[in-house]
Amino acid sequence: MLSRIAQELFWLGRNVARAEHTARLLDGVFQASLQSAADTSRSGNAAVRLDWESIVAIMGAESDSGYGSADVLRRMTLDRNEPASLISCVDRAREGARTVRDVVSAEMWEAINTTQLTLLESDSNGRFGMGPYSVFQYVRERSALFWGLTSRTMLRDEANAFLTAGGRIESADMVLRMLRVAMPAPEPTEGETVADASLQDGQAQALLHAVGGFQAFRRAVPSPAHAGPVARFLLYERNYPDSVAASVDALHRALGNADDSPRRSEPVLRLSRLGADLDFRGRGAQASVNLAETCELVQSELTLIDKDIAERYFAGAMPAAGLVMA
Amino acid sequence: MAYGPETGGPFDEVFAPGAHPHPHTVSLARELADLGPQALAEAGHRRDAIFVQQGITFDASGEAGPVRDRPFPLDLVPRILPAPEWDHIERGLAQRITALNRFIDDVYHEREIVRAGLVPWQLIVSRSHFARAVHGIRPPGGVYCHVAGCDLVKDSDGSWKVLEDNVRTPSGISYVLENRVAMTRLVPQFFRDYRVRPVDQYPQILAAALRAAAPSAEDEATIVVWTPGSMNSAYFEHSFIARQMGVELVEASDLVVRDDVVYMRTTAGLRRVHAIYRRLDDDFIDPLEFRPDSLLGVPGLIRAYRAGTVAIANAVGTGVADDKAIYHYVPEMIKFYLGEEPILDNVQTYLMADPKQLEYALGRMDELVFKPTNESGGKGVCIGPRTSSEALASLAAVIRSKPEDWIAQELVNLSTVPTAGPDGVLAPRHVDLRPFAVFGETIKIVPGGLTRVAMVEGSMIVNSSQGGGSKDTWVLEQHEDAPVGGEVTSTRIVSPIMPDMRYGSEWHGQQQQQQQQAPTSTGVTQTQSQSQTTAVPPGADPAADPATAHPTDGGLA
Repeated sequence: MLSRIAQELFWLGRNVARAEHTARLLDGVFQASLQSAADTSRSGNAAVRLDWESIVAIMGAESDSGYGSADVLRRMTLDRNEPASLISCVDRAREGARTVRDVVSAEMWEAINTTQLTLLESDSNGRFGMGPYSVFQYVRERSALFWGLTSRTMLRDEANAFLTAGGRIESADMVLRMLRVAMPAPEPTEGETVADASLQDGQAQALLHAVGGFQAFRRAVPSPAHAGPVARFLLYERNYPDSVAASVDALHRALGNADDSPRRSEPVLRLSRLGADLDFRGRGAQASVNLAETCELVQSELTLIDKDIAERYFAGAMPAAGLVMA
Repeated sequence: MAYGPETGGPFDEVFAPGAHPHPHTVSLARELADLGPQALAEAGHRRDAIFVQQGITFDASGEAGPVRDRPFPLDLVPRILPAPEWDHIERGLAQRITALNRFIDDVYHEREIVRAGLVPWQLIVSRSHFARAVHGIRPPGGVYCHVAGCDLVKDSDGSWKVLEDNVRTPSGISYVLENRVAMTRLVPQFFRDYRVRPVDQYPQILAAALRAAAPSAEDEATIVVWTPGSMNSAYFEHSFIARQMGVELVEASDLVVRDDVVYMRTTAGLRRVHAIYRRLDDDFIDPLEFRPDSLLGVPGLIRAYRAGTVAIANAVGTGVADDKAIYHYVPEMIKFYLGEEPILDNVQTYLMADPKQLEYALGRMDELVFKPTNESGGKGVCIGPRTSSEALASLAAVIRSKPEDWIAQELVNLSTVPTAGPDGVLAPRHVDLRPFAVFGETIKIVPGGLTRVAMVEGSMIVNSSQGGGSKDTWVLEQHEDAPVGGEVTSTRIVSPIMPDMRYGSEWHGQQQQQQQQAPTSTGVTQTQSQSQTTAVPPGADPAADPATAHPTDGGLA
């Protein structure tokens, strides 16, 4: 298929996934921010931190100090001048989907188009004012609809593979961003009792909520939603679809399917190695392993994979008309 | 706002007489005024839609028979408790629950309080929830009431009193958690100037308490929540608690006792169960020991419990401390067991089993409240001043025929909180408070609890099964000078260095420039030809890549 189309699909997947993760993240932080953190007074440096400043850091937005919560929230949700905002993601996804209308199914295009049109409507500002939850909820649902339609109506061809690949690499990247910003930099000292620390980091729960994995965590992990177990779950738990390991795995499969000679493809090979490496680390994952360092390494490896993908598959494609430039 | 509680009436928790808000409710009053009745009513419609969608519903007994799947009635005006007030309640409850726990232990063991002549043994054994079957059984840690929910009321003088002790299976915690989530979604602006203590740690606290109660296990102790079944009116809560703790929700048919050990039937065979959080009454849990006609029970459970292989929460037999006649003696218990003065008072109560008190109370029937001792959910309660004299006369006959099943209480003028009607207009409505305490290694109480509201003007019946509503209860942080919720804190954080967020085509930066310079057909050819040279990638800079720098050392390590 055309490199240009492949790249459009890849970025369509990325933008849809990013919109969803941004909505979840903003919702999670917004809810957590309304209440005081559980027992802040007693939490040491082991506490998970997820607040408005974190969002700015996660999304790599320009960090002008002096932003209050309302400002950050509005800017990251409905501000079209902020490239990292929720609505900018949706806009880009819609433009991308328009470009590849002939490749994706009509239903998928409609799903994206309707999403963007609804957010355009003048009342979305008003709705946001009454409670941003409805906007976040809407974007989450529409994203689920899009991916549902993809799996129901789109041919499982190369195009599908690049769309999926984009979605999964974005998921992995967003989860890593959240983890890196939210997790305490030095791990809690080993002597600390888990039971005591568990009740302190209400923000670890906020992190789980932000990713949408609270119940999955509860069912999979017996220990309380404490910083360490939460981070390991989001990194290594293959059975949880939004964990980094699961995303890397899915990305690997998608590219393996799309590539004619996957054994000679740099990104595919890198992904094999990364997946295996995550498994190794997950098996030996004890408190002594520095999770922050792992996250950083995985993220930089993903950046390289992203580059490799662009070079191997998209090289030479022109930037699509109308695509928002950073 | 035409809202103004009258002087000399019940205590209003938001507005003092003259419609001036209390110091800690100024901000709430302002937000309410800004919002206005119409927007509040609209938020109410959205709330109902969300609750029905999420299945946060309950079943009530309406006038035309039972009503199923009604959205849980949450009033959007929160109830605010300042930190010192909550501290007082928290200490009082911890004291009371400690005493109740000691009492239960005493009743099934030494009976010291009986021998001291403080509580008549005859009264204890005549309670319907007294359980002979568990005489002499002491659960791990000596904890019986792992979960307690005492009902509190605020009197017209502003003092807190205990109205009832619920130490069997108090329900409502799921609504506390769901109410909070709904409030943050529907009316986030109310939170603006407050630092509200969170409530969502409850499932973790409960799970920890159940693990503490469980007999030692090789691995992680297996905890289950036991529900009577999906037809139970509190099934939503049962599934909520199980889901939040990440444990199995079992019914009687899932459990089996073999050789005095409890197991659950799983796809991988029988699996040992160490702790059961049961949500059904003693009477039904084991047909071999209690009601033989119970289909909801697990035969042999009490034997396993006696053998110490399984923890049951709350312990079997706690109902004896839950009885409204025993309630009368709780202040005595606190003095007897703990040697302390009660922090929270009882409402003045008269035992109808005592002939003197009976005559006194029947003489003041039109002023007192009469309650059957072994009912819950507000069933059978008769409020003297609101009842016709004929009804009172027939009630008097009923009480005389079985006086030991009744108590009388002084009428408490419950405090009020502004509550939105269907049109969003605020009016004072009476409230009570049910905080939820978990007794694990220590007693932990979730800040706040379930505030129940009587939705009918003047009514004091707050039970949701009788058409009562609820409110989110906010306990404020101690230090109000600390940063207010949501604002950026002053402590600067060092963020890890992230790769830049990419928005699409940055990678093409060079080619894109060329294209912009020459957006002609030759420009396109040029870009394409250039891409030919980069199609075989030189690879990333090896120095920047830890993986390729050491290709043999196993990836990222």
